[in-house]
Amino acid sequence: MKLTMVKKVFADGSPCKKCGEIETKMRDAGQLEQLDQIVIAYEADPQSEGMQLAAQHNVDRAPFFIVERDGQDAEIYTVYFKFVKEVLNAKTSEDEEIQEIMNDVDLDFL
Amino acid sequence: MGSITNIVDIDSELATQTPQEILQYALENHDNIAISFSGAEDVVLIDMAHKLGKDLQVFSLDTGRLHAETYRFIEQVRKHYNIDIDVVYPEASRVEKLVKEKGLFSFYDGDHKECCGIRKIAPLRKQLLTVDAWITGQRRDQSPGTRAAVPVMQDDKAFARPDDKLTKFNPLANWTSKQVWDYIRENNVPYNELHDKGFISIGCEPCTRPTGPGQHEREGRWWWEEATLKECGLHAVNIQK
Repeated sequence: MKLTMVKKVFADGSPCKKCGEIETKMRDAGQLEQLDQIVIAYEADPQSEGMQLAAQHNVDRAPFFIVERDGQDAEIYTVYFKFVKEVLNAKTSEDEEIQEIMNDVDLDFL
Repeated sequence: MGSITNIVDIDSELATQTPQEILQYALENHDNIAISFSGAEDVVLIDMAHKLGKDLQVFSLDTGRLHAETYRFIEQVRKHYNIDIDVVYPEASRVEKLVKEKGLFSFYDGDHKECCGIRKIAPLRKQLLTVDAWITGQRRDQSPGTRAAVPVMQDDKAFARPDDKLTKFNPLANWTSKQVWDYIRENNVPYNELHDKGFISIGCEPCTRPTGPGQHEREGRWWWEEATLKECGLHAVNIQK
């Protein structure tokens, strides 16, 4: 199994805040070591590896995770808690999960 | 229909179809599917689905802070279409804890997300664990910045059951506010009386206000917070396959 994290760098060169927060969380939890690679999507460079992976897998947000298993289609996780729960078998709290959803979901239609 | 490729392909096909056709597809392909009804102009989804003659599952989130007009409207819709509306509530103990620690209007001091997390997201999540697909009234024109790419059909990874799929349909994604209101008027669809009082986007009472001429509807929600870009989107304009 090959695990890839794709994080984003804005066109102005600044890092994506959420990507940084998740990377820190994973580092603190010892999860970063379980990844095979971290790839950067440079918004200013559509040819960068991360942007190409985003296009290839039809992903429109960052960070995201690619899980590749022999003989199977790659699985894409755009939700951190899903990734760590389902792939890394880690535990997450409901509050953490709701907080992550909150950061990704517009709420004015509810 | 589970794979991403299929969902993207079907989304592309459905994107050219009418909201009614998208709804029909959704209802015919999912037995356990529910409409999320906010008590605003997404009532058109209920009207369209009702006309398709399908059995409807409809739910509304009662955050405990809705306008009286919205409660009246939800009840009006229930009676008008003779349908059950599953009204879902936040967990009382979590609301009590929030209010005890931070008061009744904590969202004005910080941001609204903690309150929304407890009153909206947690009960929505619980509700969505019970279905295979859901239907929302999201439209692209509601927020040109953050919602410009709302597909008509998507794989909802955030709310899916563990190791399972949840499909989300947004049949109104390509419609404008004008098209929605033309439909409401032409079909005599009941609507929330708050719209006649200048409200466009309708949510919780403390966090919603009427908007003036020329203001975008998003300016009527959480107006005290600085507008921020949805920074985690990978801007599609830059992605070249």
